[in-house]
Amino acid sequence: MAHREVESFERLVLPHLDDAYALACHLLRDEHDAQDVVQEAVLRALRYFDGFRDGDARAWLLAIVRNCCYTWQRRYRTDGLSVSYADAETSSQLRGTDTDAGAIRSSDSAVIDRAVASLPPEFREVIVLRELQELSYREISQITGVPMGTVMSRLARARKRLASSLGLLIEEAS
Amino acid sequence: MRCAECRDALTSYVDGELMPEEAETMRDHLASCAACAAEHEMLQSLSRRLREGLARPRAPDVLKARIRSALSQSTGVLADVTTPGRPWTGLLVAGALIAVVSGGASFAVARREASRPAIAEQVLSSHLRSLMPGHLTDVASNDSHNVKPWFNGRVDLSPLVPRLDSAGFPLAGGRLDYVGGRTVATVVYVRRQHVINVFSWPTEDRTAHTPVTSIEKGYHVVHWSDGGVELWVASDLNARELEQFVTLYRRE
Ligand SMILES: [Zn+2]
Repeated sequence: MAHREVESFERLVLPHLDDAYALACHLLRDEHDAQDVVQEAVLRALRYFDGFRDGDARAWLLAIVRNCCYTWQRRYRTDGLSVSYADAETSSQLRGTDTDAGAIRSSDSAVIDRAVASLPPEFREVIVLRELQELSYREISQITGVPMGTVMSRLARARKRLASSLGLLIEEAS
Repeated sequence: MRCAECRDALTSYVDGELMPEEAETMRDHLASCAACAAEHEMLQSLSRRLREGLARPRAPDVLKARIRSALSQSTGVLADVTTPGRPWTGLLVAGALIAVVSGGASFAVARREASRPAIAEQVLSSHLRSLMPGHLTDVASNDSHNVKPWFNGRVDLSPLVPRLDSAGFPLAGGRLDYVGGRTVATVVYVRRQHVINVFSWPTEDRTAHTPVTSIEKGYHVVHWSDGGVELWVASDLNARELEQFVTLYRRE
């Protein structure tokens, strides 16, 4: 591949490595798997860089990372996508060791990570893309490949579950 | 607006995904309906808690280094040293070239000047290769002084393997690597997520050279020699901490 092409790839894509890694960590619940998948996803993105000329490089990369995560799980995990990884151990692994912010974040984080980790993957991914990466419904729809209406209804249902598990649910008078 | 309609649109409303006139209707309803307003309040505070509390892990430097390494190999930037897919071939050729040049003893000074940059490049390329999965160590440290004896009989120099754990540089292990056409002892330390490779081999030059830090393709490379041993250190760690490491390593 031409040097200049790789340079423009690096300029457009590499700034989004942190986002790519965060998404992979939340989907896979394992730091080491997330590292391997992100590396694989970036190299795959480089191969398909011809097909990407303009548009949102972040959404484009995240879509590839997401697909690689699910392919990885199909390949290496017999327990499949419907199983969530919500135990305290994987949740603390996700904290990492190099994040100063990690030490500062309150104990509420552990509670929240557990609640999000126990969501089914199709709910977990919309929550991470919306709340962590602050993407629009249109971008989330591009990344996940489902219509915007489905993005909205998944977000609504995911939040209902989270509100319930975090004890925020409002008692309806009726 | 009825409550049921309001509840259906609430998710889109908190996400700022409604058209301006729809949002206006929502605001009116929320101002007049306590039950829907409470639900709206709950969704907003949930959103806030998620944004503050969700783990936001940053890509570790080791991963970034692995990716940079893989990308630089795809451009052929390092093609003169390593060939994509067959990383050893180019390296052995480079080693052979240095061996040929070393044949003429009268060119000692020129050879020294010429081989330095080539060695630095090979040190870096060995460093980058070590970051690929499964390449970092041949022997992992098990905290019982197993690394130093592992080199016995494998290389013609027993490398320094000081324990610097208490200084924040835990020992990861050791491996054999190839630099300048010879097998060299490589001792691996870690600083947070950063890998530090220490390469050493015997040299006939017994004069000591104090450490010199240089930058190779964005990585720090430190070179010095101590009484017949040539040492090279490569890492993506910042220069200040890397030099602190070198000072501690040499103190042993
Ligand atoms: Zn109402």
